[in-house]
Amino acid sequence: MKFFFPDSQDQVDPTFDFLTEERDPFRVRQRDDLYAHEVLKPPPFNGLLVSKAIVDGTAGSSTGKYTGPQRHRLYRQGARQFFRLNNGSTPLKIMGDCGAFSYVGEENPPYSVEEVVSFYEGCGFDYGISVDHVIFQYEPKIVHTDDAAAEWVRRQEITLDLASDFWRRCSASDVHFIPLGVAQGWSPESYAHAVKELQRIGYRRIALGGMVPLKTNEILACLQRIDDVRESDTELHLLGISRCEQIRTFADHGVTSFDSTSPFRQAFKDDRDNYYAPDRTYVALRVPQVDGNAKLKARIRSGEIGQGQAMLLERSALARLRQFDKDEVGVDAALEALAEYSAVWDRKADRTSQYRDTLESRPWRACDCTICASVGIEVIIFRGAERNKRRGFHNLHVFGQRVRRQLGEDDRD
Amino acid sequence: MTKQGRESRMVEAGNQKNVLHLPALEIRQGPNRRLYTFAVDGKQVPSFAAVSRVRRDSQQQLHGYQRPEVLAHVAAIRRYVESAESPMLPNAIVVAFDDRVRFVPADAAVVGPGYVRSGTLLVPVSDDWEDADKPGFIVDGQQRCAAIRDAGVEAFPICVTAFITADQADHRSQFILVNSTKPLPKGLIHELLPAASGPLPNQLRVRQLPATVLERLNFDERSPLRHMIQTPTNPAGVIKDNSMLRMLENSISDGVLYRFRGSDSALPNIGLMVTVLNDFWTAVRDVFGEDAWGKPPRKSRLMHGAGIISMGYLMDAIADTNGSGEDVPDTQGFAAGLKIVKDYCRWTEGTWDLGDGIPRRWNDIQNTPRDIQRITDFLVSTYSSKQGKRHDRSSRLF
Repeated sequence: MKFFFPDSQDQVDPTFDFLTEERDPFRVRQRDDLYAHEVLKPPPFNGLLVSKAIVDGTAGSSTGKYTGPQRHRLYRQGARQFFRLNNGSTPLKIMGDCGAFSYVGEENPPYSVEEVVSFYEGCGFDYGISVDHVIFQYEPKIVHTDDAAAEWVRRQEITLDLASDFWRRCSASDVHFIPLGVAQGWSPESYAHAVKELQRIGYRRIALGGMVPLKTNEILACLQRIDDVRESDTELHLLGISRCEQIRTFADHGVTSFDSTSPFRQAFKDDRDNYYAPDRTYVALRVPQVDGNAKLKARIRSGEIGQGQAMLLERSALARLRQFDKDEVGVDAALEALAEYSAVWDRKADRTSQYRDTLESRPWRACDCTICASVGIEVIIFRGAERNKRRGFHNLHVFGQRVRRQLGEDDRD
Repeated sequence: MTKQGRESRMVEAGNQKNVLHLPALEIRQGPNRRLYTFAVDGKQVPSFAAVSRVRRDSQQQLHGYQRPEVLAHVAAIRRYVESAESPMLPNAIVVAFDDRVRFVPADAAVVGPGYVRSGTLLVPVSDDWEDADKPGFIVDGQQRCAAIRDAGVEAFPICVTAFITADQADHRSQFILVNSTKPLPKGLIHELLPAASGPLPNQLRVRQLPATVLERLNFDERSPLRHMIQTPTNPAGVIKDNSMLRMLENSISDGVLYRFRGSDSALPNIGLMVTVLNDFWTAVRDVFGEDAWGKPPRKSRLMHGAGIISMGYLMDAIADTNGSGEDVPDTQGFAAGLKIVKDYCRWTEGTWDLGDGIPRRWNDIQNTPRDIQRITDFLVSTYSSKQGKRHDRSSRLF
C-alpha cells in the first residue's frame, strides 16, 4: 500500500527562529526550505501527488501556488530534482493529476488531454492520472437512465472519453509515465461500469475519484461491486481518502495506493484534532499573532483594545508555555495565561478543559519524530505557518506509523 | 518591555512631583509658535509621553489620531537599534506637551540670534500614570519609540522636538502634516541601493543584489546593455528598470544566477553573474540584430517587459540544458540556443503563432503577467522540443 501526499508547496524554513520569529532574509523559498520527506525519517509517505491546477493554475481563475520562476524550474529540471525526491532516507515516487476539485464548478475540464500529457511528461512524473470531472453526489438507488442522473452521466462520459483519448496519446507518443484512468460515479453500479470501461480501454491502474464526501461503508459498497468486474491484475488508487482503520480492507479489494492531505491539514484546519498521537488526537494551543489575527487587529484599529495590552498577553502566553515545557510552572499557570489572552481575541470558545488535557499529557515529549525532538512544545502551538506546518509534518509522521501498523509492517527505518 | 524601574534613580525618593530637567533650546518660529528641542533617553519617553490611539467613544466622538504600531516596522527598527554597527536615528521624534511642561530660560544672556535661547525644559514624569494622564503625546515617531522601548539595549538617547499646546486638533493637524509626505520613488531607491551600506530593512537588503547587478549591466564598459536601462540618472534607456530587475530576481531565485548567489559562508559572486549576463545579452543582440535591439518597446517588443522577462527564462533554460554548477554557456553557446527559437519570434512585426490557435500581432503583446507567461511558455517549450533533450530525464516505464 502506497501513500501519496498531495503537494501544495508545503515546506518549512529551517532558518526560522522560534524565539524572535525571524528568518534569514536571504533564504530562497522552496530551495532553502525542507519538505516533510527531508525532515522526517523514514519519509512519512511513499510519494507526492502534484496537480496541474496547483502548478499551472486554471486558465480562467486561479494562478496556481507556484511562482512563474518556480514553475519553469520544475519543467526544466524535472520533478525528481525539484522535489528532491532522493533526499529522504528512501526515494519517493511522483504522481500527477489535474486537480479536478479546482474546476468542479465548470461545465467542462479546462485542460486538454494533450496539455496534461505534456505536463506529466515535461515534469518527468512516474504516474499520470487522466483528465477527469468530479461527480460529488452519492445516490446508490438512482440508475443511469433516470433524469436525475443526467448531469452525472454526462460527467462520467466526459471522464471516460478523456481517459480513452489519454490512453491513445500515451501509447502513441511512448510516454515515460504510467497512465492511470479515473473512474467517477455516484453509486456502486456506476463506479463498476466506469472501471469496466477503463479496463476495456486498456488501463490496469485505475483511480477512484469523487469519494471524498462518502462514508466509509459507502466506499466499501463501491469497492465490493467493483470486485465483480475487476481484473485480477487491476490496481486501484483512492483519490483523497485516508480512513486508516480500513486500510487492510481496502487492500483486500485491490487498492494499492491512496492519497490524502487530511493528517497535514487537520493540524491547522480542524477545530480540535490538531495533533496526532499514536492512538488519539489533541487540540493545539492557540496563541495567534497580534498582527496575524484579523478579528483582533480590527478591534485594535478601532481602539476597542489596546495593542500594548494584547501584545503583553500574547507574550506572556508564549512565555508561560515555554516555562511549562521546562517544568518551571504548573499547568494552571499556563492555562491561565492562555485564557487571559484568548479573552481578547476569541470570546466565544472556552477550550480550557481541552487545553488542560493537552498540557497534562505532554504528547510532544513522547513523540520520536525529529520535529518534536527539536522544537518541543512549539510544535503544538497553533500560531503562524512555521509552527502549524511543522505540526502537520509531525501528523504525517504519526499517520505513516499508523498505516504501517495497520498493514502489520515493521516500523523501523 | 520598558525598563521603567531604572527611572526611579532620576527622581528624589518621596517627592511626589518628579520632574525631568532637560537642557533644551527654545526656538521661536513666527510670532505665536515656540518649539523646544532636546535630547532624552528613548527608554524614558513612555514615562511622560503617550501614543494617542484613534477611536470613537460611545457618542461617536473621535479621540486620538495614531494608528496601531506596525509590528513588522517596529521589529525592523528594533533590529537596527540592537545592531552592532553603531546605529543612528538622526531625525527627531515630535511630542506635543500640555501646559504642565514649562521652559525656564538660562540666566546668562548668550549672544546669538534672537529667535533661539537656551534653558531647561521641566517635564513631570511618573511611573503610575495611565496614558491619558501623561503630559505629552507622541505626534511623530511612535514606531521608533516602540522599537527603542522593546530593544535589548540599556539606553538610547534620541532627539525630540516638542511644542506646548492643549489643543488636540493642533496635534492632529501636525500628525497629518508629518505623515502625508510622499515616499521615495522605487526607481530612485533601487539606484541608490548598490552604493548604500550599513543595515537596511530586510526587503531592501534582498533587493540590493539585483540592483547591484543591474547597475553593472547599465554602466560597465563591456556590457552589451550599457546605458540601455532606464533609471532616474539614465532617463534615455529603452528598457524599464523594473523589467530588468524582475528578470534578474527570477534567475537569482530559480535560474542560472542562483548558482552564484552564495551561501551562509560565501557572498554572492557578482562578477560571475555579470559575466553570464553579458554573454547572454551579447548573444541576444547578435542573434536578433539591429531590427529589434536597442529600440524603444513600442518599436520592439524585445526591449519590452514581455521580451526582457521571457528572454530571462530562456537564458535559464539554455543554461540548464548545458550543464550545471559553473559550467555555463558562453556567448556562442547562448547564441546557438537562441537561434533555435529565432524564427518563431515576432518582436518588431508580424504575428505570433503561440500554438493555441489564436494569432497575436506583435504589438498586441502587453506587459502583463498573462502575456509574459504566454510568450515565455512558448519560447521555452519551443526551445526544449526543438533541441531534443526533453526525453532523457527518466527511464522508460510504460
